[in-house]
Amino acid sequence: MFPYIFIGLSQAEKSTMPTKNVVEERISKFKNKGKDPAKLREKRISVCVELRKAHKDESFLKRRNITLSSLPDEEALDYISNDMVAVLPLDEIIKDVNSDCKESQTRGCQAARKLLSQERNPPMKEIIDAGLLSRFVSFLGMDDEPTLQFEAAWALTNIASGTTWHTQQVVEHGAVPAFIALLASPMLHISEQAVWALGNIAGDGAAYRDILIECNVIPALLARICPDTPVGYLRNLTWTLSNLCRNKNPFPPLSAVMQVLPSLIQLLHLGDKDILSDACWAISYLSDGDNDRIDVVVKTGIVSRLVELMSHEELSVMTPALRSIGNIVSGSDLQTQAAVDAGVLKVLPQLMRHSKASVQKEATWALSNIAAGPCRQIQQLITCGLLPPLVEQLRNGDFKTQREAVWAVTNFTSGGTVEQVVHLVQSGALEAIINLLQVKDTKVILVILDAINNIFMAAEKLGETEKLSLLVEELGGLDRIEMLQNHDNETVYQAARTLIEKYFSDDDVVGVKVDSTDDSFVFKTSDVQRTFEF
Amino acid sequence: LFYMLYLTNVKHVLCFQRVALLVASDIDALCACKILQALFHCDQVQYTLVPVTGWQDLGTAFLEHKEQFRYFVLINCGANVDLLEMLQPDDDSVFFICDTHRPVDVVNVYNETQIKLLIKQDDDLGVPPYDDIFRDEDDEEGGDSGNESDEGSEPSGKRRRFDEVLFCRGSVCHVQYEYHGTSASMMFFELAWVLTKDTKDMLWWAVIGLTDQWVHDKITHMKYVTDIATMQRHVSRHNHRNEDEENSLSIDCMRISFEYDLRLTLYQHWSLYESICNSCYTSCNFKLWTLNGQKKLQEFLADMGLPLKQVRQKFNSMDMSIKENLRDVIEESSNKYGLKDIRIQTFGVHFGFKNRFLASDMVHATAALLESTEKDESDSDNFIKALDSLSRSNLERLHSGIELAKRKLMAIQQTVASCICTNLILSQGPFLYCYLMEGTPDVKLFSKPIALTLVTLSLMVFFDVEKGTVIVVGIPPESETSDKKNFFGRAFEKAAESTSSRTLHDNFDTSIIELKTDDRSKFLDALITLLS
Repeated sequence: MFPYIFIGLSQAEKSTMPTKNVVEERISKFKNKGKDPAKLREKRISVCVELRKAHKDESFLKRRNITLSSLPDEEALDYISNDMVAVLPLDEIIKDVNSDCKESQTRGCQAARKLLSQERNPPMKEIIDAGLLSRFVSFLGMDDEPTLQFEAAWALTNIASGTTWHTQQVVEHGAVPAFIALLASPMLHISEQAVWALGNIAGDGAAYRDILIECNVIPALLARICPDTPVGYLRNLTWTLSNLCRNKNPFPPLSAVMQVLPSLIQLLHLGDKDILSDACWAISYLSDGDNDRIDVVVKTGIVSRLVELMSHEELSVMTPALRSIGNIVSGSDLQTQAAVDAGVLKVLPQLMRHSKASVQKEATWALSNIAAGPCRQIQQLITCGLLPPLVEQLRNGDFKTQREAVWAVTNFTSGGTVEQVVHLVQSGALEAIINLLQVKDTKVILVILDAINNIFMAAEKLGETEKLSLLVEELGGLDRIEMLQNHDNETVYQAARTLIEKYFSDDDVVGVKVDSTDDSFVFKTSDVQRTFEF
Repeated sequence: LFYMLYLTNVKHVLCFQRVALLVASDIDALCACKILQALFHCDQVQYTLVPVTGWQDLGTAFLEHKEQFRYFVLINCGANVDLLEMLQPDDDSVFFICDTHRPVDVVNVYNETQIKLLIKQDDDLGVPPYDDIFRDEDDEEGGDSGNESDEGSEPSGKRRRFDEVLFCRGSVCHVQYEYHGTSASMMFFELAWVLTKDTKDMLWWAVIGLTDQWVHDKITHMKYVTDIATMQRHVSRHNHRNEDEENSLSIDCMRISFEYDLRLTLYQHWSLYESICNSCYTSCNFKLWTLNGQKKLQEFLADMGLPLKQVRQKFNSMDMSIKENLRDVIEESSNKYGLKDIRIQTFGVHFGFKNRFLASDMVHATAALLESTEKDESDSDNFIKALDSLSRSNLERLHSGIELAKRKLMAIQQTVASCICTNLILSQGPFLYCYLMEGTPDVKLFSKPIALTLVTLSLMVFFDVEKGTVIVVGIPPESETSDKKNFFGRAFEKAAESTSSRTLHDNFDTSIIELKTDDRSKFLDALITLLS
């Protein structure tokens, strides 16, 4: 008997770590070459905008700010560090804020800011309902009362960080022009607070973003970038700029993009990881559009820097850099070539083997788009050794990555030359996709059947269909394809049937005579490699 | 929110398996380890004991043992980091953690399959509720594992500005201040008690563990007094149980008693005079490093009416008549001299007839052994010695520890005195800092900051070690209301990050770090800005 007791912690109902149900906001769809060869590539459709909207009503956990270095003002530091700001009840705050005495106003404003900065349940609605916003906005204009300006700016920032309704209240009280004017404040911490507030407003969505742009926020922001701007200030500024680039339907006006881009490029050459991260995200938003949008980005010449940042040690930088490049290679062949020329193919193998599954997936997605290019680009892809990691992903990747990898194979087989397709099969891709025919996802099955069909078409050109049939059968592919004839989905059934009829009709399946006299292209069947060779 | 869950199935698994016992280097951990060893002993559980001094050590120890062991018991380490992230264990490794470090890393709290925390029900964990941490994470894109929500995911569209601009990062930002929870040895003692396997030895170890927290300033006075009361109940229960034996003192008996004793370190093993000079409570209050302080001490002694000769000779040899009401005499005079808290609730122990120790004596002696800087002694040698000194069968070791502790205390006092007298303590605005040069008495630093806190408001200590690095220790301001929460850990981290100083955050206490000597000035500058 052994009565050891350990005391553990238990939480009712919550026995496991939450599995994040990350909604696949990025749906990569490819049009099949067979159907529309000209437009093989397609953009990811960003569901995330809608998602974010859907969650607006809940207050999500906001990222906290760590920009101490940007608050150089002694005066400002006083308020932040010491906890002397009195905690007042709301009715006293209202009285103070509405009074005519500057001291009372400051005290009330500080206390309100304090409440709005607390971690739990900041009383945003209460303060709005108390009608304090118009007072706060009027305080923003009091250039001779910097303390009051700062406190009011902070309070409004936090209210604007709430739901769309909260942000709307701030905007409708006329905060936008007041904040833009405040950007020019000689007091750095006040100006920075304005940057932050404007970032929250821009982050609300396309509508407010464009209102800000209309009000000429961009030149006012860019004017604050100079060699001695503190890094913390720049972090906030970069984030605000990224919000001005963010959101679709509609995209930010092209003229605004052109205004922001040169400064973004400048910021992308700094070393701070937070700045780099937000600047990369901005680029990823800008490149997440049609080819004209991508073109604007590519023309800045930033592609090689982005490729460089894909190897950045910080995940927070590498991820958006990869996303940006992924967007760019989904563009025209010329745009893709810019990324290839910048060396993207040298970086992708390591990213496809990254420890984080989401990185593998994005890298594979990028690869699939490059594989959709002309055979010249496919050749570069082979030369740079992308096939081994691709096959690894087909075999062992997580499902989302496998899906991208399957797309890569299909794109490759539809655009590649016969030799390139043979090379792909020899690398083990055929076997790997045949194994994937067991998955539940109908779309993936269709894409695989397409790929198999493409490979047969290549074999046909070589007059090697019989050998390929035998190979597919040996790899267990025939059984699987036959099974798919029972699939619920009509299209799958059709595709499977077509394949069977075309390449596996009974009289064809006879022993393969290896043509020893002809030493051109020969599919061998029963090798150790079990792939076909020339 | 949290309740005790008795994992009775643990007994089955532990029964057949060897257990790896990873123990941090502090006295409370040693005591907890002793209790657990005794428990293992009665149930014939095989275990392997591995002392660990820091995170790296813990990592290595884990790597070395992960093949042979499935079950790991961590004492006073492991709770305040995301352990699974750090150690990357296999899915079937299970960790039982009893650690006083707070706040507990949220990931540890909410992982129940591999991490079992041994934590008192009513202990404040400093952890926000589950929902607050993990809700809305699906808002964000990218990250596939829950603990990486911040990394690589799309930034949020809006951000609120929080008050503590300084110490917040990421969405899980309750980690601001470092502090300590209920002592590990008390936890294990209560465990033994629930199992009705508690013994007097275990009780004594629990007392020492608690006293360690107090001596080394890890818990508030309030917490100390509350826990002392708990221990007192156990003591009277034990004494009651053995009432018969108590009357018949034998050579090998052990008696624990509640005392209201003097806050003079080791005075029963020293002379009263030396104890007063080297106890930080008295020396700091008298400011003994000043002439004035020395004068005040003489007056104090005169006021007590104790002959200098008696005061300076070994306590053991003092006249019985003086010793009899010594505590009262001292307390009376102390009150006049502003030493209002000279007496403190504590426990003492009698081993046989001759040996009497206060709990704080044990702490000092064991700590001195643990951090002994004798040559040719490895950390694990010291660990074993310190562990030995806690057994009553090894009084010799304990006495050697007491001697070592005296030397250490004297060195501390000298260092304090010389720092103050030579103005080594500099005010940096937000904090005071003191840089101990090489060549100052070669005493391990760990306890030094404790002595120094009493002198200063808020202090950082740099201490040179040989390899071109300095050890930095941050101590929160000392005041009446001090809640013993240490913010330096966070500040150090930030300062190092912003200046890319080369630092090693290896200690289980984040407020103790190692820093490249060359980076010292830029690190300091950043710290000044941060804490302003």
